[in-house]
Amino acid sequence: MASEITRVESADWRINRRFYLKFLEGLADTQIGPLYVGVWGIFALVFFAITVFVILFGYLQQVGYNPILFVREFPVLSVEPPPPSYGLKLAPLAEGGYWQIATFFLTLSIVFWLIRIWSRAIANRLRPTVPIVFSAAIFLYAAIYIIHPISMGAWNEAPGHGLRAQLVWANAFSIKYGNFYYNPFHMVSIFGLLGSCLLLAMHGATILAVTRLNAHREIDEAENSTEGTHRAQLLWRWVMGFNATATSIHTWAIAIAVVSMVAGALGVIFSGPVEPDWFQWACRAGIVPGVIQPGTTNVAACLR
Amino acid sequence: MLSFEAKYRREAMDAPGMPLLGLGLLKFWVGRFYIGFWGLVALLFGLIGAGIWFWRVVILDATRTGNPLINFVRGQIEAPSPDVGLSLTTDPSKGLWWLVVMFCATVTFIAWMMRQADISRMLKMGYQVPIAFGVAVSAWVTIQIVRPILLGHWSEGFPLGVMAHLDWLSVFGYRFFNFYYNPFHALGIALLFGSGLVLSLHGATILSAAGKKKEGVTEHNINVFYWDFLGYSIGEIGIHRLAFWTALMCVLLSNLCLVLSGTLVQDWSAFWNFWNKLPFWSGF
Repeated sequence: MASEITRVESADWRINRRFYLKFLEGLADTQIGPLYVGVWGIFALVFFAITVFVILFGYLQQVGYNPILFVREFPVLSVEPPPPSYGLKLAPLAEGGYWQIATFFLTLSIVFWLIRIWSRAIANRLRPTVPIVFSAAIFLYAAIYIIHPISMGAWNEAPGHGLRAQLVWANAFSIKYGNFYYNPFHMVSIFGLLGSCLLLAMHGATILAVTRLNAHREIDEAENSTEGTHRAQLLWRWVMGFNATATSIHTWAIAIAVVSMVAGALGVIFSGPVEPDWFQWACRAGIVPGVIQPGTTNVAACLR
Repeated sequence: MLSFEAKYRREAMDAPGMPLLGLGLLKFWVGRFYIGFWGLVALLFGLIGAGIWFWRVVILDATRTGNPLINFVRGQIEAPSPDVGLSLTTDPSKGLWWLVVMFCATVTFIAWMMRQADISRMLKMGYQVPIAFGVAVSAWVTIQIVRPILLGHWSEGFPLGVMAHLDWLSVFGYRFFNFYYNPFHALGIALLFGSGLVLSLHGATILSAAGKKKEGVTEHNINVFYWDFLGYSIGEIGIHRLAFWTALMCVLLSNLCLVLSGTLVQDWSAFWNFWNKLPFWSGF
C-alpha cells in the first residue's frame, strides 16, 4: 500500500508541470501533460521515430530530394513491400528493404506502446482493460502486415506505407480474394464497425442529454446510480424495451468494437489459405441474389 | 418495471402533450414499451413495410428456396427500373413494392425519431438522442430520396435486401471511377474507424476503474493514466461530446460523399486534377 501511495503522490507532483490549452475551455479538459516517459515510452518513441524516418527518407529518395515535389506527391508516395519474387526473404533497400525495416520497427513500437499502456494502467491502480482492447487492434494489424503475408509466403501481400497505397491495397485485396463484400467475416466486421458508430452516437447523446444531472460522472454512477442515469435508462427502456446500466453500456461498447476488430482480422487471415474466392463461397452457400440454391443447375452459372 | 420506474411514469403522465401537434394521445405503456401517438405510427408503418418485404422476398420470390434463412439473406425488392423516372408507378414489375416499402420505412424512421423526442421530453432530458437518430435517418433520406430526386430516377436508390444492397454498394464504388478517391468518403471512413477507436477507448477506460471506489480509485486515476501515456485527458463531459460529434460527422460526411456522386462529380480520380495545377508548383 505504501508504494501505491508513493505512486499517486508522484503523479500529483508531476501535475505541477502541466500547461493549458485555453481554446478548449468550456468544451473539454484543458490540461496538457505531464507526459510519462519511462523506459517503454522511450523504446516506443525511438522505434516509431525510426519508422517515420525510414518512410520519409524513402519518399525523399523517390522524388530526388526535391522538397516541393515531396509535398506535391506526398499523398501518392509509398514505401512498397518487396515484389513477390522475394517471398519472405530480405530484399535490397530500394526493392522493399525500406518497407521491411519500417514495418519491423513499426511492429516493435506498437508492442512497446502496448507494454507502456499496460504498465501505466497498473501504476495508476486501474485494470488493464485499455491495453487488452488495444491488443485486439494489434491482432488486426498483425493479421494484415504479418500473419497473412507469412501464410501466403510473400511480404508483397501487405500494404505499402503511403496514404494512397493503403487504399490501393484495400481495393486490390478485396478483388484478389473474390470481393470482400461476400466475405462473411468482413460482413461481421463491418456490422461491428457500423455498430460502433451507432453505439457511440447513442451513448454520447444519452449522456449529453442528462449532464445537468451529472450522469457523465460515470465512475460514481457505476458505483451508485442516481437520477440522471435512471432517466437515461428509462429513455431506452421506453423506446426499445431494453436498457443497459452505467457499467454495462461500456461492456457492450468494448464487445462490439472487439467483435469488429477480431472478425476483421479473421477475415484477412482466412483469405487465401481457407477461402481463395469469397464470391465462390457465397455461391456455394446459395446467398448470391438472383441465383438458385446449390443442388439445382443454375448454381453452375454462379461458380467460375 | 425497474425499482425507480413508477415515480418517473407518474411524472411522465403529468407532462404536457406534443407542443406542435397538441397530442397527449395514447400515453400508455405495454410492458416495458411506451406507446404514444408516434409509437403507434411507427408500429403500424413498420409492420406494413416489413410485412410486404417478407411477403415479397421470403414467400413470393420466384427464385426462393426451401430455406427461409437463405431467402432472407439473398432475397430483395429491386429498385424501380430507370424508365420509371420519378413517377409513382403502380406496376409491380417496375418497382411499385420498392416505393411502398420505402415510404413505409421512411415514415417509420421519422416516427421513431419523434417518439424518442416525445420520451426525452417526458423524462426532462435534452434532445440529443432524437437529434443523433435524425442524423442516421438523414443518411437513409439522402441515399433513397434526395439523391434519386436530384438525378431524376428512383432507380438510383438501393435494392432492399441483405446481399442485394452489398452488390449495389460494390458496384456503386466503381461507378464514379473509384470511391477510394472520394475525399469525403475518406473522411467518413476515417471517422468510422475513429468511432471504433473512441468507443473502445471509452468503454475500456470506464471498465478499468468501475467498482474500485473501495480501493480509492476515482476518475482522478483515469486522468493521471491518460496524462501519463497520451499527455491529455479529455474529461468526463468532453469524451461524450467527442463521441457524439465523431459519430454524427461520420454520417454527415458520408451523406456528402454520396450526394455529390453523379450530381456534381462523375469521376473521383479526375476530381483531383486541380492538385497538380495549383499555382504554388505550377512550374514543375
